[in-house]
Amino acid sequence: MPGVAFVAHCLLNQNSKTDGGARCPGVYSPLVDELRERGWRIEQMPCPELAFTGLNRFWAVREQYDTTAFRRHCRKIAAAVAGAIEVHVARGDDVILVGIDGSPSMGVHVTSSDPARGGRPEWPDGAPELSPGSGIFLEELTAELAERGVTAPRAMGVSHQLPTHDPSEERAQLVALMEGSG
Amino acid sequence: MEGDLRSFRVALVASELVNPEAGGVDALAVIEQEGWGAMQLPAADYPDEVAAPLLDQVAEQTEEFARHGYTLALVGSRAGLEQALERYGLAVPPAIEPDAADQLREFLAEVAAG
Repeated sequence: MPGVAFVAHCLLNQNSKTDGGARCPGVYSPLVDELRERGWRIEQMPCPELAFTGLNRFWAVREQYDTTAFRRHCRKIAAAVAGAIEVHVARGDDVILVGIDGSPSMGVHVTSSDPARGGRPEWPDGAPELSPGSGIFLEELTAELAERGVTAPRAMGVSHQLPTHDPSEERAQLVALMEGSG
Repeated sequence: MEGDLRSFRVALVASELVNPEAGGVDALAVIEQEGWGAMQLPAADYPDEVAAPLLDQVAEQTEEFARHGYTLALVGSRAGLEQALERYGLAVPPAIEPDAADQLREFLAEVAAG
């Protein structure tokens, strides 16, 4: 087995997406297929937003989720995920993480941010909220791993909700990540 | 849900069927082909103290889908799942231990048809 990929919940279950965000009925196959074709073990992480704000949640930015309660919720999930990562690291497995760029919680290199957003939701689709940085869950997972003395895995974010989405570039990025150059 | 392609069908799937051994049933492939989403159960090779909080998350998220009327199914099994679901007031959904891909395909179609 080449390694273990901890993937965002919605890669295997688009039903967890915010209304309007599901790109396919269930499994987001392009990257899942790439991982499986190369023999990587898949481990699905819980969706931080699903149980907290539910299936009827609004699209939201980091600032709306950045509350003590949501961070506590993320840390609880992060502790569960970190425990699993720790098992694989201890076994000497190569571990990677595939998040969701543009997400307020699962963003790896791109999250969403707009300090002014709140109140009546009337922002246009595609409003410029994307900004460099990680989502809140990724921050909590990194902190949890650091506290355990476990090196954070190499990581990338799926770009399918970014306006610049390029499926072949995304696939190439995953290949680079698996090969250790991502 | 304009433009949203979700299926409203979620299968709880044993980790060993998401990551099958050579020659084993590739449940994830069937689930993908049949248009279901997958919620992976903690792998059997995880120690109990690692699996338990992951199982709790699965149950909590399953409760959210159940409350919204999503169709649920269980593919494979996982020790402790029934108790975890019970803590959220849920029963184990229709279940199968598939011996073959076609058997699983038929089961998912039956559950989807209600």
